[in-house]
Amino acid sequence: MKIIKSNQKKYLTLAAAVINSGGLVIYPSDTVYILAVDPRNPTAVAKLLSFKNRWPGKAISVAVSDIDMAEKYVKLSSKTRLLYQNLLPGPFTLVSPGRHLVAPGIEAENGTLGIRIPDSPYILDLVKKLSFPITATSANLSGRTPHYSVSSFLNTLSQKKLDLIDLIIDAGTLPKNKPSTVIDVTEPELKILRRGDLIAASSQTFLSTSEKNTGKIAQFLLNKILHTAAPSNIVLALSGDLGCGKTVFARAIGRYLGVKGPITSPTFVIYNQYPVKFPPLNNFLHFDLYRLSSSSEFTEINFLSHFKKLTLSCLEWPENMGKVNLTWLKKHTSYFSINFEYVSENTRRLTFSF
Amino acid sequence: MFILGIETSCDDTCAAVLKDDRILSDIVSSQINLHSVYGGVVPDIAKRAHQKRLPAIVALALKQSRKTLKDIDLIAATRGPGLGIALSIGYNFAKDLARENHIPLAAINHVEGHLLSVFLKNKNGLPHLSPHFPILGLTVSGGHTKIVLIKKIGDYQIIGQTLDDAAGEALDKAAKLLGLGYPGGPVIERVAQTGHSDFLKLPQPLQPKSILNFSFSGLKTSFYYQIKDWPLTKIAAHLSDLSATFQSAVFEHLTRKFSLAIDKYHPVSLLASGGVLANLTLRRQLRHLAKSKNLPIFFPPQKKLNTDNAAMIALAAFYRYCQDKSLNDLDLDINPRLEL
Repeated sequence: MKIIKSNQKKYLTLAAAVINSGGLVIYPSDTVYILAVDPRNPTAVAKLLSFKNRWPGKAISVAVSDIDMAEKYVKLSSKTRLLYQNLLPGPFTLVSPGRHLVAPGIEAENGTLGIRIPDSPYILDLVKKLSFPITATSANLSGRTPHYSVSSFLNTLSQKKLDLIDLIIDAGTLPKNKPSTVIDVTEPELKILRRGDLIAASSQTFLSTSEKNTGKIAQFLLNKILHTAAPSNIVLALSGDLGCGKTVFARAIGRYLGVKGPITSPTFVIYNQYPVKFPPLNNFLHFDLYRLSSSSEFTEINFLSHFKKLTLSCLEWPENMGKVNLTWLKKHTSYFSINFEYVSENTRRLTFSF
Repeated sequence: MFILGIETSCDDTCAAVLKDDRILSDIVSSQINLHSVYGGVVPDIAKRAHQKRLPAIVALALKQSRKTLKDIDLIAATRGPGLGIALSIGYNFAKDLARENHIPLAAINHVEGHLLSVFLKNKNGLPHLSPHFPILGLTVSGGHTKIVLIKKIGDYQIIGQTLDDAAGEALDKAAKLLGLGYPGGPVIERVAQTGHSDFLKLPQPLQPKSILNFSFSGLKTSFYYQIKDWPLTKIAAHLSDLSATFQSAVFEHLTRKFSLAIDKYHPVSLLASGGVLANLTLRRQLRHLAKSKNLPIFFPPQKKLNTDNAAMIALAAFYRYCQDKSLNDLDLDINPRLEL
């Protein structure tokens, strides 16, 4: 067993070589450490299953680099494609009908296969290099909690288990993100098989069960936006009823951009401006248009002059800004709408149209 | 010495003239008949247009104090925190005035102004106060909710503050939900007088005693979703109970955290200021609290000094000038998120 730090250049080549020759690699991901083998290689899969003490019939998900690679291993409906587009890369595993091209033990008994596209350069780089998927099951023994550091994992293992590991890529302690949310997309209604940090109710809807959860969703969506939009002059329009978490969402965005200190409601002062160092962004603006109504008031605060390059703005009560301002923003900025709805005391539905 | 104060951090355009700590004049745009200043109907566009109102308000403040710019020794203006565009109008006006007339400028923190507003005196020098330090101050308005330890004038430490909405903002929003209009604080106070304050069950925010911060957003949310589906007639029938319940939850939270802060920091006196302190129920509760702790508590000496005004800005400048006779902030700019 070899341990290589992920900051060493050769880690990728080494990991690829070990997996190519049927070995078992402990590998970092965007959530927890995973056990990576070639899912098409029966010997490698047998090794993985005996390591995990996994009873046959329980599936193991695999990580791919993009939707094209996924398509080779599972059948995708048009609805599922939308889910891929909007949720991946991200902390989700999408379960679809498999094409039975992987070794026994990977697909579930009913022939479905769980696919991940992790938001992790480690994994994406490796899978691209291999040009085939890797198993993405969490590095723990069945029924135990997953691990965020290599040493905490190794401490739980017997010598017999340790002997099964061929290589460990150590990226230090990973940020404490829960394992991915596993969603069965084979039925018309999405079915959550395992709850991670984010709960998707459709390709454009998240359910939040706490303020913390809303923050995670904010982080996910911002990441997504920064990947797709030109990273300048971004506007997030947050609409929805009072007390649905709009300010919580905006605060999470601000925190993610590095704002320290309180991020409070801007209702009274209309907007708060925070300098940030998040290249290329250098400004975070938090607007609350709750108190504004007539177009002259927007003129007075020079509303449109605030939307400059290198600024990310969260707008609460965007419906108050009127048609002219809205049209201008949609034309001159990367404009994204997120709608907040009350479901129950502790649950909110967030719908985004990107 | 004579000080001209200018304050435009949010909605109101304010100017005042002080002789030391005594108010000679104190003009607030929302509290005077603007028709006389304009000589006509106030255009709607001037709602936040400090620019249009400011010269007239300053002229009126000078006129009422029977002083001219030649008499003024120091100009004070709010530098922050507040709405950027509003701040810059007042602050830059003051700066230009200071430059043109060779008068030193004092750039003042709005929150410091609120804290010190309890020490303002009328033109006869009343009331007489002899405050002892350290003082624990609570300042509560539409934009701020803070507990500040004042070791001496000019030496402030923020002990607690709101993590989301300001207390006044929460009251405004509740009033709007009840259809009571804006600003909500005064209406809620009036309607709540005949109501029962335990009509709904509202959560107690930030329960742990170690936390001295405030949070009002959960109160607002809980209140809203309990009455959301009520028919208007039911809301109307229970308007005073609903107002009393929400107001009491907000004040209970304020009083509880202030009380915890007193126990932790052992001040020798207390003060409370800001727009929400115009509410007599809150004043009564805080007086009661002070009495139970055996401490004196100071409030702004006139009701109109609770809300935004320029007299408090001029007073803060006066105190700073007493400590530093060479005070001149001409090189400073506004800061919408200025910390205390």
